[in-house]
Amino acid sequence: MGRKKKKASKPWCWYCNREFDDEKILIQHQKAKHFKCHICHKKLYTGPGLSIHCMQVHKEAIDKVPNSLPNRSNIEIEIYGMEGIPPEDVKEHEKQKTGGGKGSDSEDDEPAAKKKATPALLGPGPSTVSPGILPTPMGPVPPSMYPGHMQMNPMMQHFMQAPRMMMPGMRPLFPAASVPTSTPSKPTFPAYSNATISAPPTTSSAAASEPKENGEVKPPAAHSCPLVTATGAGSKIIHPPEDVSLEEIRARNSKYRPKPKPDAPAPSVAPTMITPSTSQAEAVMYAQVAAHMSAAVAAARQQQAAAQAQAAAMRRAPMMPGVVLPQMRVGVPVSVPPVMGMLPVMPQFNLVRPLQPGMLLPGGVMPMGMFPGGMGGMGGMMMQPRYR
Amino acid sequence: MFPQLSAGGGNPNKDVEVVSPPDDTVAALEFSPASVPQTFLVAGSWDSKVRCWEVEASGKTVPKAEQSMDGPVLDVAWHDDGTKVFMASTDKTVKCWDLASNQTMQVAAHDASVKTCHWVKAPNYTCLMTASWDKTLKFWDTRSAAAIMSLALSERCYCAAVDYPMAAVGSADRGVALYSLEGKPAEVKRVESPLKYQHRCVAIFRDKKTKQPTGFALGSVEGRVAIQYVSPTNPKDNFTFKCHRSQGSGGYQDIFAVNDVAFHPAHGTLATVGSDGSFSFWDKDARTKLKSSELLDQPLTKCAFNHSGQIFAYAVGYDWSKGHENYNSAKKNYIFLRPCFEDLKPRST
Repeated sequence: MGRKKKKASKPWCWYCNREFDDEKILIQHQKAKHFKCHICHKKLYTGPGLSIHCMQVHKEAIDKVPNSLPNRSNIEIEIYGMEGIPPEDVKEHEKQKTGGGKGSDSEDDEPAAKKKATPALLGPGPSTVSPGILPTPMGPVPPSMYPGHMQMNPMMQHFMQAPRMMMPGMRPLFPAASVPTSTPSKPTFPAYSNATISAPPTTSSAAASEPKENGEVKPPAAHSCPLVTATGAGSKIIHPPEDVSLEEIRARNSKYRPKPKPDAPAPSVAPTMITPSTSQAEAVMYAQVAAHMSAAVAAARQQQAAAQAQAAAMRRAPMMPGVVLPQMRVGVPVSVPPVMGMLPVMPQFNLVRPLQPGMLLPGGVMPMGMFPGGMGGMGGMMMQPRYR
Repeated sequence: MFPQLSAGGGNPNKDVEVVSPPDDTVAALEFSPASVPQTFLVAGSWDSKVRCWEVEASGKTVPKAEQSMDGPVLDVAWHDDGTKVFMASTDKTVKCWDLASNQTMQVAAHDASVKTCHWVKAPNYTCLMTASWDKTLKFWDTRSAAAIMSLALSERCYCAAVDYPMAAVGSADRGVALYSLEGKPAEVKRVESPLKYQHRCVAIFRDKKTKQPTGFALGSVEGRVAIQYVSPTNPKDNFTFKCHRSQGSGGYQDIFAVNDVAFHPAHGTLATVGSDGSFSFWDKDARTKLKSSELLDQPLTKCAFNHSGQIFAYAVGYDWSKGHENYNSAKKNYIFLRPCFEDLKPRST
């Protein structure tokens, strides 16, 4: 149809009908207002981009473009500046600009809501616009985040935008404030993403956010020194530094040592699987653990010392007020001190353990008489056929 | 003053509290199978006890019985007929608890603490699968002292899951070994871990259509869960997602361990519980979070669904993630029950 008209109209934002002097500023506006992730504040480039980012990075569904007019909230439409705007909307907009209401007579297929919304571009109409501020059912945009943005007069808009335009420059200033986008960890990104990001169709969004928490201090691929500590500058894993399960660490505590069994091993069939050298094996195991602990812990402390000194200042209140002693939380790896403390204890382990395996010695596993059918060869015979 | 404590901070999600909870952290939590008409909940804990409650339809819980092991209990499993419970302990043994007679009997042993136990019910055999820090995976006929089969693991077992005919075992070297239990147990393959940090929990999920086990969810200490298909039709089917992380006011992010992961038996959606003290429900197919809970003031250590998927149980207690010095033995441990069928419905789109 009369898609010519191409009059020298100013660039305008499809999502909120606002006009701009320059398409560059329009794009900045869109990134800041409509394509910004409400969780990590990352600015995406298009509505679909935002939707995919939220889905992949935060597992949240975004079904409406934030801060958009009710009839312009479609997140599927790919709009960048003035590109991608549905032709009929372009036409409608031009009609609004030129002839006032005339255009709407001929284009009656427009939803009523749309007509209501259009005035917003001429003069901010507070009543019509506010619905656009509550965008998604998931409530990703707390209204408070955009306090009355739509109601602002054009002067304020520009005022608001100024800082946004500087955003790229601002990031480094607050690397810790926005963990997800912190730059420090980026260097490790390539290595990391190759290995782990298994399904990132939109690498732009997923990739940019992935590395931040995962940027490891040491080369991620080389897990030569097993530690749980290393993360990016902006985050920390709440786990003892030693890369051993919480259960194993806990089980070392004297409180949890298994009780010595009163019933001594009853000599009976010695299942071949159970080697009498239990204590030896265990000693080796713990020796290994101890070995990498000492190396690991030393390394961990170095790595973390710097980060922590810095972090400690910014540290927020302990997560578990009831449990945590105030000073504990200051050092990041809560367990560094304890682990160090445990090192000397390790030998004990090896000393103590051998006392116990006695019960595991030949056939000690099962006290006689517990099996109704009797033990001995019978047990063996009974089971073998099961898999045959 | 004190009642306020337990009402507010202890149970922000307003769930049903199981009466007479364990005296120390819960390390294992399982509901009775469909074969028994009533619903029983069994919890193994660090106080070396295993407790059994009956859960009534009203949500009322009645303590039924308890048994002791010689060391902390790391896992429990129900026999498929619902009459017996297996208890794996750091005392290197697994015992079978006959609920009717309240007798226990040793059925398995390892050279080190037994981390997991699972009852395997195959058409042609039944057995108990146990995995241990002694780096072995063993299969036991419960009537014999000797294992029917022992398979070597690459490292200490940290987590395991069984959904016949599949078994998955996660180990300390971040390995995942998959087993086929058909005919007889056999290792199928070792999967390269999609995660860069220590494995902590694993659960098997089924294909939506065939209802056959088709993949697993693996949780790590780095607040992340991997969804991994055994044979993905598209490499992009496998993915990882972040969870159980909290944003501090200073912009510092705390990353917590995923302590347990479980799939909803009817919907195929999943739940995770973390050291951060929250649980979350997820739809892996829509790749969305369905719900996240309020934060509790202690870590969540375990979770379980009952067989029909109506009840979600989660255990609250200290998990050692902040070291022994943050252990406060005066702090009460809890198990909470919550109706969950609606919350876990997959996203409809």
